[in-house]
Amino acid sequence: MFTKSQLHLASIFIKIYYRDRQSLAFSLMFPLIFTGIFLFSGGEPDPTDIGLANQSQNELSIQFVELIKEKDIFAVTEGEEVELKKQLIAGDLTALIIVPENFNQSDTGRLRLLLDASQVRQVGAIKDSLDSMLLSIERELRDTQPLFTLDIEDVKARPQRYIDFLLPGILAYMLMNLCIAGSGYNLVEYRRRGILKRLFVTPIQPKDFIISIVLARMLIVMIQLSVILGLAVGLLNINIIGGLYSLFGVIILGAFIFLCIGFFLGSLAKTQEAIRPIALLFTLPQLILSGIFFPISSLPALIQPIAQALPLSVIASSMRDIANDGISLLTINFNLIGILSWMIISFFIATKFFDWQKVAS
Amino acid sequence: MVIIEATNLEKHYPSPEDPAKTFAAVNKINLSIQSEEIFGLLGPNGAGKTTTLEMLEGLTSIDKGNVLINGLDVITQPYEVKRIIGVQLQSNEYFDRLNLSDLLILFASLYSTSIDPKALLAKVDLENKINALPNDLSGGQKQRFSIACALVNNPKILFLDEPTTGLDPQAKRNLWNLAKTLNEEGMTIVLTTHNMEEAEYLCDRIAIMDQGSIIAQDTPQQLILDYAPEPPAAPMQGNIEDVFLSLTGHGLRD
Repeated sequence: MFTKSQLHLASIFIKIYYRDRQSLAFSLMFPLIFTGIFLFSGGEPDPTDIGLANQSQNELSIQFVELIKEKDIFAVTEGEEVELKKQLIAGDLTALIIVPENFNQSDTGRLRLLLDASQVRQVGAIKDSLDSMLLSIERELRDTQPLFTLDIEDVKARPQRYIDFLLPGILAYMLMNLCIAGSGYNLVEYRRRGILKRLFVTPIQPKDFIISIVLARMLIVMIQLSVILGLAVGLLNINIIGGLYSLFGVIILGAFIFLCIGFFLGSLAKTQEAIRPIALLFTLPQLILSGIFFPISSLPALIQPIAQALPLSVIASSMRDIANDGISLLTINFNLIGILSWMIISFFIATKFFDWQKVAS
Repeated sequence: MVIIEATNLEKHYPSPEDPAKTFAAVNKINLSIQSEEIFGLLGPNGAGKTTTLEMLEGLTSIDKGNVLINGLDVITQPYEVKRIIGVQLQSNEYFDRLNLSDLLILFASLYSTSIDPKALLAKVDLENKINALPNDLSGGQKQRFSIACALVNNPKILFLDEPTTGLDPQAKRNLWNLAKTLNEEGMTIVLTTHNMEEAEYLCDRIAIMDQGSIIAQDTPQQLILDYAPEPPAAPMQGNIEDVFLSLTGHGLRD
């Protein structure tokens, strides 16, 4: 299937990579930092810091303050309004609740909520959670039974945490970056230094060169992602529901797609300076649009169809399907069709634009 | 026996002043290089030496004309041609973190052959550097290693592109001796240079290029007889540098 020169060249690329201690150390650093962050934060969002100034100090207001402090979603700092306001402006607090002096049961108690409106994303969420909190506090104070309660049940009946959602996307994102650096950046570097030209003085053909890099990088990327996956499963107690074969199958197909795209970007870039913005132009929008940190369904409806078709989206959501829902790689669905289409497209543009006579000179 | 036969070779590039126009980097060149000779392409910078050489090697596409190397057509059979030639390029960069032995084994594998790196390095006087990295070598050693890389497939023809540029006199002599030895073992050598002493000492025949064309072609001795000015006084004698300057003019080239 592979020729001796292809395999030898691939082994050389692996050797070069393995001997590069610095990049080896740094490539292990990211997964360690990543798992470390989630290990210490427990994978759950931190409570929101709010300030609380109680200017009333009557029985009701004290009871109210105690009840707020019991809520897990808030970390409460008590103090004087002036002092707390300074902290709010400095950004140490996200919101400040002021219990006014005439806070009592006879009238509707009016609370003042001070916010930094530039924290747009948080304002809505804080207002909503405060509203519902006030409601439950009110019930407790008046000792009434709520008319409705909400029992949240996961239809998929398994513990699903944010980290479970996040990990497959992060793996896919790393896969993309490692591949584009592995083929695109290297191609530009080898060309600039005349190494490509030296290679093509020998009877090696462009396809031999592409195959060797793809082979070598696939193996390197598989090892890197295995390390992260191993750490995640071992330390973060991540549960991979689907088969590992399927998961690594997607990784291999994804590596192929992104390595080919890397070749294409490397062929486009004429200089070492140009490859960085060109690669960023490709990777950055995908980081935002491909549902790595937030589900694609939270994007504006107009963008969603485009976002879903991006190469990183199909890879990430396919990995998520396997890891979280136990779907097999071979299940014919949108993602599989997307992956196969991107394989054809990326291989086509990689071979079409990789003109070694131009690339080598 | 003719081993390299180039007929009406042409290469055009977009003109640096006006991209709409092209200029001829190589203009209708004819070359006929004999087996087992050392053939020199001489010319000022920008004369088209390297372009010509790279067209012979199949590294640069040929706009017009054709080249036969040992009976193989460079345009239609580039990979067969590359199997029987060895090429030393002007730049001397290799993959990082590979020592001389790794690199020679790598290059041999690209020809699907295996070699004894130690023996090959001994041939170019680098046997004690087998575990060194190319960047640790001196200029002369780098050039010799570059030649070793070009020898992994035991080529019939060796192309050297300005092999002694930037070398000190000792390294230069050393490299000349290496070329002579290889030639005596039966290898045809084609080199470019703008070092007149090198052309005169090393080459059996010389072609002088200027502005993309060959303006003279013969043995160094004959060229001196034909073109060098008569020695004005007894001790002075013309050399190939005189030939070169009288043919290409004294103006500075870049």
